[in-house]
Order: sequence, then C-alpha cells, then structure tokens
Amino acid sequence: AQPDSSSLAEVLDRVLDKGVVVDVWARISLVGIEILTVEARVVAASVDTFLHYAEEIAKIEQAELTAGAEAPEPAPEA
Amino acid sequence: MSESHLYTYGIIDDNESLALNVDGVAGATRAYTVSYRSLSAVVSDIETTDPERTDAAVEAHNTVLQAVLEHDATRAVVPMSFGMAFKNARTLKGVLRGARRALRSTLTEIAGTVELGVKVLAPGDDTAVDTAAVRSDVTARLSALSVGETENDCFTDRLIINKSYLVEHDTRDAFDAAIDEIDAAHDDLTVRYTGPWPPYNFVDIHIGAEQAQQGGR
Repeated sequence: AQPDSSSLAEVLDRVLDKGVVVDVWARISLVGIEILTVEARVVAASVDTFLHYAEEIAKIEQAELTAGAEAPEPAPEA
Repeated sequence: MSESHLYTYGIIDDNESLALNVDGVAGATRAYTVSYRSLSAVVSDIETTDPERTDAAVEAHNTVLQAVLEHDATRAVVPMSFGMAFKNARTLKGVLRGARRALRSTLTEIAGTVELGVKVLAPGDDTAVDTAAVRSDVTARLSALSVGETENDCFTDRLIINKSYLVEHDTRDAFDAAIDEIDAAHDDLTVRYTGPWPPYNFVDIHIGAEQAQQGGR
C-alpha cells in the first residue's frame, strides 16, 4: 500500500502540535535580546539526544548577517 | 513602510537553493530559501508575523513541505510548527545561526528517512479482537523495518495502535509491503497508513529569547 498524506486530522495533528517552535521575540526582533536559548530533542535510532544551548546573539556581527557576506564555517566544536 | 515578512515551513541542507511554485500560507504562490551558511529555511513572503490559524492555512503549510519532499524525496527536512513567521531575513538568519548546532545534528539524525503514520482500528461492532496479539504482531513487523518510533495517544477504545515510524528510504518498499501483509492478516481491522511526512514526531526543538531589559534570570 502507498501511504496517504491528505487527511486533515493527520495534518493538524502534526503541523499544530509538533515541529520547531521559535518564540515571537526571537522572530521579530534582535534588538534587546541577549541570549538565544535552544532546546532540542531528537528521537531516532532508539537513542534520545537532548541538547541545550544558550547563545549570546548580541555578539552577532552585523556584517555576518548581511546577504552575500559568507564567512567560512568555524572549526567544529567538541 | 511595508516590508514583507517571511513565513517559514522547514529547514533543509543548503546543497542547492530551492524555488518552488506552490500555494503557501496566506496566499503565497512561491516558496524559496533563505540561507545562513549551510542551513536553509524554506519560506514564503507574508504580510503579517502572526498568521491566522485556519484549516486552510495549516493545509497550505503541509502542502509546501510535501512539495519540498516531492522535489527531492531523499532530502531531510526539519519541519517548523505552524505560524513561525519572521520579521525579516536578518532575524531569521540570526535564529539559524544561534540554533545551527541543534539544527545540524537534527538534519544528520534524520537524513535519508521519512515519517510514516500507522493507525489500526478495531471494528465498530462487538467483534472480539485480541488487541494484545494484534499489537505485538504489528509492532514487531514494523519495528524491524524502522529506525525510530513514537507512541501516540490512543484517543478512542477502537484505536488499537497509533504510532509514527521513522523509516529509511531504502526500506520504504518493504514497509509498504508489510502494511499490505498486516492488512491481509487482520481483515476485520482497519489500517490507516499515512505519509510520507517530514519527521514531525521525531524532532522537538524550542528556540527562545531572553531580553536584556528583563535582566539576568
């Protein structure tokens, strides 16, 4: 059988209740935000990975975010 | 000053820029990508940062993600929840930057997989069903063909199984065949097989912001 992705109930179940959530302050303004907090849980391969980050985004360089100004990736952190 | 905001559908690897003619949320007709280094957000233009939550809008959100999956079936997509509209590309890139490690590791975890939903329902009449036997038979077959699974709520007594499976592309055909076998082996039961979905049930990311004005917490 081929699966079907047209059921509204199945769509609502996923799109409303699940997926990445970004708080409104992080979406509409960088002004006045000091810390971006990231909590991630990935359920795959029978292993739960829980990650917590707090990034100081006030330090973001304006130039880094300007379109076209692609800086090289930093060295991977352990 | 009317500046267009950006409604986001999901995050993908930035292997190629993507532009799709597809009906999106709030009347959008085109989805495209905004990238920060190796991460790209699939977006469409929108006039508000607080889109109305209607059935049609939620379906449009799903339609765009389905189009992304159809465009390249092997592409990993980290799906956004409904309503994640950003003020502009700058705030979006700021969030991609701040969450890049979590987004990267999630993309790596889900690479090469899709989510498939399986519901098994008992007949509506009084037919006796050995639910424990059905459960163990079905879940044993499907677990063997998946790399992850989540248990969802059985919200009615008729619902014997309500699970989501994370399935690798290479095992999709075998999984389809297993559903057929289950359907044939339990012809008194109803099997609802849905997807493929972006891995909604396998990704849980919350990005918050603490304002400077509120002081250190």
